Amino acid sequence: MGNVNGVELAIFLFFFAVVTVLGFMAARWRKGDSLDSLDEWGLGGRGFGTFITWFLVGGDIYTAYTFIAVPATLYAGSVVGFFAVPYTIVLYPIIFIFLPRLWSVSHRHGYVTPADFVRGRFDSKVLALAVAITGLLATMPYIALQLIGIQVVLEVMGIGGGSDSTFLAKDLPLFIAFAVLAAYTYASGLRAPALIAFVKDTLIYVVILVAVFWLPSQLGGWGHIFDVAQQSFDAFNKDNADAIASGAAAAKGSIPPPVAQWAYASLALGSALALFMYPHSLTGVLASKNRSVLRRNAALLPAYSFLLGLLALLGFAAIAAGVTVDNPQQAVPALFDKQFPDWFAGLAFAAIAIGALVPAAIMSIAAANLWTRNVYKAFINPGATAKQEATQSKLMSLVVKFGALVFVLGLDAQNAINFQLLGGVWILQTLPTIVFALYTRWFHRWALLAGWAVGMVYGTLTAYNVPKPGEAGSHFGGPLQVIPFTDTKGYIALTALVINILVAVVLTLVLRAVKVGEGVDQTRPSDYVADSGDPGVEEVLVGEPGTAPSGG
Amino acid sequence: MAVAGPGKERGAPATRVTGGTGIVVGILLAVGIVLPLLVPVYDSDAPRLGGFPFFYWFQLALIPVVSLLTVVAFRLSLRSTDKERESVGLPPRKDAEGDR
Repeated sequence: MGNVNGVELAIFLFFFAVVTVLGFMAARWRKGDSLDSLDEWGLGGRGFGTFITWFLVGGDIYTAYTFIAVPATLYAGSVVGFFAVPYTIVLYPIIFIFLPRLWSVSHRHGYVTPADFVRGRFDSKVLALAVAITGLLATMPYIALQLIGIQVVLEVMGIGGGSDSTFLAKDLPLFIAFAVLAAYTYASGLRAPALIAFVKDTLIYVVILVAVFWLPSQLGGWGHIFDVAQQSFDAFNKDNADAIASGAAAAKGSIPPPVAQWAYASLALGSALALFMYPHSLTGVLASKNRSVLRRNAALLPAYSFLLGLLALLGFAAIAAGVTVDNPQQAVPALFDKQFPDWFAGLAFAAIAIGALVPAAIMSIAAANLWTRNVYKAFINPGATAKQEATQSKLMSLVVKFGALVFVLGLDAQNAINFQLLGGVWILQTLPTIVFALYTRWFHRWALLAGWAVGMVYGTLTAYNVPKPGEAGSHFGGPLQVIPFTDTKGYIALTALVINILVAVVLTLVLRAVKVGEGVDQTRPSDYVADSGDPGVEEVLVGEPGTAPSGG
Repeated sequence: MAVAGPGKERGAPATRVTGGTGIVVGILLAVGIVLPLLVPVYDSDAPRLGGFPFFYWFQLALIPVVSLLTVVAFRLSLRSTDKERESVGLPPRKDAEGDR
């Protein structure tokens, strides 16, 4: 890239500075007694209705994932990346089904994390630990995806990046952005992203609407855009026919070939099932006022999916606009750089970068609370004071972010969507323990633990062994692998989940036959349909998300 | 689906058979989940609409369709939830009318 555009950079830095100041000031916004309790640090506001829940949960969808990772796959001619659309369609009927039950049982018993529920349901600290650790681990690549979003924007603006620059000059701007994020999250807790989210959403809505409605008209309309993209893929396939035949390169296209159909469907289904296993998604869900808020949201949230789909297609628009970048992640930022006036491009870049900071902060806080509640307090220091808990969470939020940085530096940043998909491989293995348990206690706790372990090991090893296209012997090259006993490729997370469930079913039969202790279930049938206003239902989860359970 | 499970286990709801409404809700949601995953149905360029290949406009069109299914399911579920609550011994919801 090289040339730094003064106007662009000034606008970008202005918004970044505003957000940084807001982040630190947030500590004083609607201040409680002290930030030295998790209650204060971990959740700055509560009792969310339909509107705020829509905003909170929907905000998780508009991340760097939307602007950078998904359009990048389309730009690169890997049309399977459009699975993000069916993913966000099937998501809502799925959450409609099980989330209200999780809401009810959590509000009856004061559960704040999914691991809390698992512990209460199965009387097993160890199974809860497995769920908590998985949440921590899976969050890291998801945060890494956000950091990559920031990095890409910086590179397109001409600061940082570049293969000829030294390591320091290359990654320094990213480290600075990262350090700022870590510092104000540490200082202000969830108040920081909550306050910044107002700026973020305003900027993002403006950019999205302009990008998906004005830009295509400048480029000759959608029909033209699709045609140009397809012609460019056809030309690529013709020029690289030999490499494609030998497997050294992947054929490009704008419509998935028949062999990719199951890959497409399994990525959509696997991602949809995985999303609400993540600690940060559940935080927003449990903070909603009642069951109807959740169900109403399941009907309203798809409005986001529509814009997500159009944004994804900007990957094709970049081709039609003649954007040529080596790193496909830069396609959309480079498109903005090329088509928008400087000041608006600067604003768009600020929107993307801030749009990455907010979820990164929320994710690290949610993961840190999981640590404090289900690892630290459960195993290390059961008598921890509120202040000790807050300290633990603050420190852990830093550890999680550093973990994310390791993923950024260690994995192939050219394909950031794989980060989200790798997290999905892990987090999905907690589904039987959480979701099945909402309906039945037939599964044995140790069988669920064994199924989880097998799924984790299989998923990780399989993902590790996927080479990047054209690089034999490389690792973590993609989310797809041939399903055992077939010749069809599918999303590794879903295959691992099936194996996980099979192990859990078989071992449950065995463990029940030999009558291994099942533990005492704290929950009752009525807990799963209880709503706000019912006896024993807490209007607000005390300590949400993170302090001591207030009892059943 | 959430319609009718085994559920004689300790701790699980004694029964979740919520009658016809529950089944309809289950079917509506099942359509919303299964239809977008039937990739072979829409995996083609033709027919185009407004310049969009079928593959793209069909999926974009699914969004409001599935959303509508979910809205209908939401309305119906309020009724079946009341029955479900009755079956586990909870009183009728106080604000039940306000939701409709």
